[in-house]
Amino acid sequence: MLSANFVEKVCVLGAGSTKYGKLSESIADITTQASVAAIESAGIEPKEVKASYISNVFGVADKQVHIGPVLMSRLGIPDRPSLTIESACGSGSVSFREAYANIAAGFYDCLIATGVEKVTHTGTEWTTTYFAYCSDFFYEGQAGASFPGLFASMARAYLTEFDATEEDFAKVAVKNHDNGYLNPKAHMQKKISVDDVMKSPVVASPLKLYDCCPFSDGASSVVLCSEKFAKEHGGDYIEVIGSGRGGSPAALQGREHLTTIPSTKIASEQAYKMAGLTPKDIDFAEVHDCFTIAEVVDTEDLGFFEKGQGIQAVREDRTKLNSDISINPSGGLKSKGHPIGATGIGQVVEVYDQLTGKAGERSVKDAKIGLTHNFGATGASCAVHIFQSV
Amino acid sequence: MSIEEQVIENAKQGKLLTHKCTNCGYLHLSTAYYCLKCGSKGFEDVLLEGSGTVATYTIITVAPAGFEKYTPYAFVVLKLDNSDLRISGFMGGIKTPEDLPVGTKAKITGFDERGILIEKQ
Repeated sequence: MLSANFVEKVCVLGAGSTKYGKLSESIADITTQASVAAIESAGIEPKEVKASYISNVFGVADKQVHIGPVLMSRLGIPDRPSLTIESACGSGSVSFREAYANIAAGFYDCLIATGVEKVTHTGTEWTTTYFAYCSDFFYEGQAGASFPGLFASMARAYLTEFDATEEDFAKVAVKNHDNGYLNPKAHMQKKISVDDVMKSPVVASPLKLYDCCPFSDGASSVVLCSEKFAKEHGGDYIEVIGSGRGGSPAALQGREHLTTIPSTKIASEQAYKMAGLTPKDIDFAEVHDCFTIAEVVDTEDLGFFEKGQGIQAVREDRTKLNSDISINPSGGLKSKGHPIGATGIGQVVEVYDQLTGKAGERSVKDAKIGLTHNFGATGASCAVHIFQSV
Repeated sequence: MSIEEQVIENAKQGKLLTHKCTNCGYLHLSTAYYCLKCGSKGFEDVLLEGSGTVATYTIITVAPAGFEKYTPYAFVVLKLDNSDLRISGFMGGIKTPEDLPVGTKAKITGFDERGILIEKQ
C-alpha cells in the first residue's frame, strides 16, 4: 500500500490565488503573487520553503518557460530547487502529488506547489489550437478535434446511452455559476439561466458556449509541510489523507466506454483506500468540470452516483451547495475559470479555505472532508486527493 | 516507413492498418508497440476495410487553426465492422445532428491535411 513506508503526515499550511480571468500582468508576476499569498497565509517566511513545484503548460505563450528559478529568485531564495510539471489540464494536481510525495518521504519539511497559466492574450483560435495539442494528436487534433469537440463527443455518447437532455447539462453550468457568484476570485462571477446556456452559440455540438469553461489566466499556490512543521509554525492547516493517480488511453477511441474516464476511477479508488473512506464520507468535492458533461461523468466515476445516474442527481439539485454533496462550491472550472496549469492547485486552495472556515458565503456547512479531482486532456491523466480538517 | 506513415498510406487506400498480437490474438491500432492484453511485442499486420458505424461525433463550429475554412465539420469516432476497434477522423459536409445519427454507416476514404478522412456510406 502506498502509505506503508511514508515517514511523514502531509499538511497544507497555507493557500493563495490571484483572481482568475483575463489578467494583464506577466506569467512571472502572477506566479509570484500567488506564491507570496500562500506563504503569507501560512505565516512563514520564504526561507522556510525548501523547494517549489510549478505546474504550467503553455509558458511559451507568454515567453517564459523554466518559471521555477524566476519565482525562487523573486522570493529571495534563488539557491532552492524547482521543478516544472506538465500534465495538460491536470498539471496542478500532478504537481501537488509530487510535492506531497516529497514531504511524505521525508525529503523536505516545507514546499510550495504553484500552478499558473497565461494564455488569453493569444485569442480564442490559438488557445483552441494549443489546447488541441494536449490530445492524442495523430488521431484527434490532426483530424480537427478541439477540446470542446472531444467532450462534445462524450456528451453525444451520454445522450445516446442514458436518459439525459441538453437542458440537463445546462443545469450543471447554472449550478456552478450560482456557486461562482459567491467567489470573488471567479473569472465569471455572474449567474446564468438554463435559457442562457441553451441560447448561447454552439461551439461543438451538442456543447454550447456556456457548457464550456472559459480560457483563463491565473495562478494558485499552496504551502505543503510535514505535520511536525505545521504544529511548530502554528496557523490553520489541513491534513492530506488520500492521494491517487491514474491513467486512461490517450485517445477517446481507445476507451472501453465513451462515457467513463478510467483514470478517475483508478485515482479515486487509490485515494479512498489510503484514506480509509468511501464516496459517502466526502462532504464536498472540487471536480474537473471543464465542460458540463465532464462534471456529470466525474461524479459517477468518483462513485458519488451510479453510472448514468449523475444526470438525475443534477436534475434533482442533489449536487448544489449544501445539498446531498456540494460539487464545486468554488464555482468549478466553469465559473471560477480554468487557467489550466493552476486549476489543480486552485482546487486545493478552495478545500483549504473551506476546511479552515475562510470560504465566506459559499461555505459548505460542517464540512470535515473534501476531495479534489483534476485531470489532463480528456482524462488521459488524473490525480485525486482527499483532505480533512484538523 | 514509420508506423504513422504506414497508417497514412493505407488510409489513402480506404484501409486501416492494425496489429494483431501473435501471442494472444488481441487486435490493436497499429501505433501499439506492446500488447494491451498480454504485454508481448510480436504483432502481425492485419489490413481492415475502413468501414464501420458512427459510435459518437461532434459538429465543430469553433475550430483550431487551419480548420476554420472547413466549419462546420464533424469529428467522428468510428466503430469498425467485425472488430472492437474504433478510429477517429474528419467528416465534412455535416451541419446538424440530423445529418449524422449515431449508428450511421461510414468509411475511411483518405488522408490529407484534415487527418484521416471519413465519409458516410
